[in-house]
Amino acid sequence: MIEISNFSFTYRESSEPVVRDINLTIPDGAFVGITGAAGSGKSTLTYAMNGIIPHCYPGDFYGSVKVCGLDTVECDLTEISRHVGSVCQDIDSQMVSSIVEDEMLYGLENFGVSHEEIETRVSEALDAIGIADLRDRTIDSLSGGQKQKVALAAIVALRPDVLVLDEPTAELDPASSVAVYELLRRYAREHGTTVVIVEQKIALLSDYADLLVVIESGRIRFADCPENVLEHADELLSIGVNCPRSATLCHDMKAAGLYAGPICRNVEDAVGMAEQALGLASASPESSRTAADAFAMTGAQATADIAERTAEKGGAR
Amino acid sequence: MIEFSHVSASYDGELAVLHDVSFRIEDGSFVAFVGTNGAGKSTTMRLINGLLKPTEGQVLIDGTPTTELKTSELAQRVGFLFQNPDRQICNNTVREEMMFGFKALGQESPEAEVRADEIMAAFGLNPDDDPFLLNRGTRQLLALASIIVLQPPVIVLDEPTTGLDFRECTKVMEIIRRLHERGTTVVMVCHDMEVVADYAESIIVMSRGKVLAQGPTYDLLRDRALTTEASLVAPQMVALSLALVKRHPQLAGTAVGLANTLTEMERALGLEIAEGGEPR
Repeated sequence: MIEISNFSFTYRESSEPVVRDINLTIPDGAFVGITGAAGSGKSTLTYAMNGIIPHCYPGDFYGSVKVCGLDTVECDLTEISRHVGSVCQDIDSQMVSSIVEDEMLYGLENFGVSHEEIETRVSEALDAIGIADLRDRTIDSLSGGQKQKVALAAIVALRPDVLVLDEPTAELDPASSVAVYELLRRYAREHGTTVVIVEQKIALLSDYADLLVVIESGRIRFADCPENVLEHADELLSIGVNCPRSATLCHDMKAAGLYAGPICRNVEDAVGMAEQALGLASASPESSRTAADAFAMTGAQATADIAERTAEKGGAR
Repeated sequence: MIEFSHVSASYDGELAVLHDVSFRIEDGSFVAFVGTNGAGKSTTMRLINGLLKPTEGQVLIDGTPTTELKTSELAQRVGFLFQNPDRQICNNTVREEMMFGFKALGQESPEAEVRADEIMAAFGLNPDDDPFLLNRGTRQLLALASIIVLQPPVIVLDEPTTGLDFRECTKVMEIIRRLHERGTTVVMVCHDMEVVADYAESIIVMSRGKVLAQGPTYDLLRDRALTTEASLVAPQMVALSLALVKRHPQLAGTAVGLANTLTEMERALGLEIAEGGEPR
């Protein structure tokens, strides 16, 4: 569990708090999306969760942040990093090795994982992220998207309780982005891992997150399931957060009195809404998903597709 | 005009990342390259601006092969916006950055300064700011402004919206739209299919170092076989329209079955939308 109480933080060089009065409880195993305009404090909030604040960035820290029962101020960064794995926004700043395999080994060896177990962990993590073929590649020969996957695999190999990921799909194509979300959700469910993702791709968060947190000027503006957050389309737009088109369509249909159900999180939901509006026989949810997936690409499709491409391509740039 | 004629390319001389690529981009078009990571899109952009030379075939800018053009000549014909503005920005103030291209080309003049002032004002940039203290979105705007000020007839944009929030993305793309309306040829690589659908008139679909198709944006995005082959994710309203037709074949050819944009879908579903509004 992550428990953030009355948390405010001012960087030493700033005069104003970057985040303020944050109260947020994230249960174990939750898939949490954090979004907001540039400079709203999203990354700062994640730094508080992985201990970078206050251990690397000095400043005025008020309130408390507890992760897996550890008070992040009282315990050191090494202790926190045994529970929390992070992928930075600036992926190059995270890479410490010149070869993918060495990058995978770095954390495992530093945490004293036995040599017998290391090979299993590395292989499993590379397979889980779909980049087994990159194992012997040099880091500088990888594309930005491939580096993001390597960073993710290196963290997954450490089997942390919490994954904190700052825009982990920023450089990935849409199909690869869906594939990463799909594998994160699958991995998190299998291992009970809590996932916290900072993301601008609101359509992905709407589809995958259990809890969507919207930050505005350092404060939490919304923290709820995506359907409920997306009800506030106009307010979101006013603070620089766009809604997925399916949610905007649904919102406008509701405003015109043409639909009365929950906000559509994805194309699949919008199919059901459109059928209602058109007076068409509504098929079962399963067939609705099949039809929507045929065009919007499911995670399973995307994962299979990426695996196939990776195998064929051998990781070309 | 930009023309690729049977172009192959490689970074190390061994592993070919483009194979026999041919296409033509007419003056004044707005074209987006789409495809997965590793499809060869960024390599194609590097070939257009001469950072990479073909190992086979020819890249022609206005009929002249890039291999015969000096870097300075090419720079005046093609402005290039890198995905990461920090690869581009190299001066200590916004004004110096804006004038850097003129300086490099030996074209500093009072007229150039006036043009830089106008563009800084239009972009909301402060001439005295330190570029490295600006946020990512503003640095991207500065990088774009420093290209536009040179008035190249072609601008090439590699992922112009990556890392930007919604407002910054809209600001950058609206500036690009206005440039295009005034006659600039725009060539863009973009992963955000909603942005591609909103702004690009046509797309070139790449996969595994080859061009699979070139044509009007929505025509290609509605082509199920093509989007599957290229692992493209259709914009949400296109996906919705296609899914509804699949489930209810009687909708084929109706307003719902043809809807590409949010506005078109809302009208098709019975919402009254004022005529003349911007398509969404």
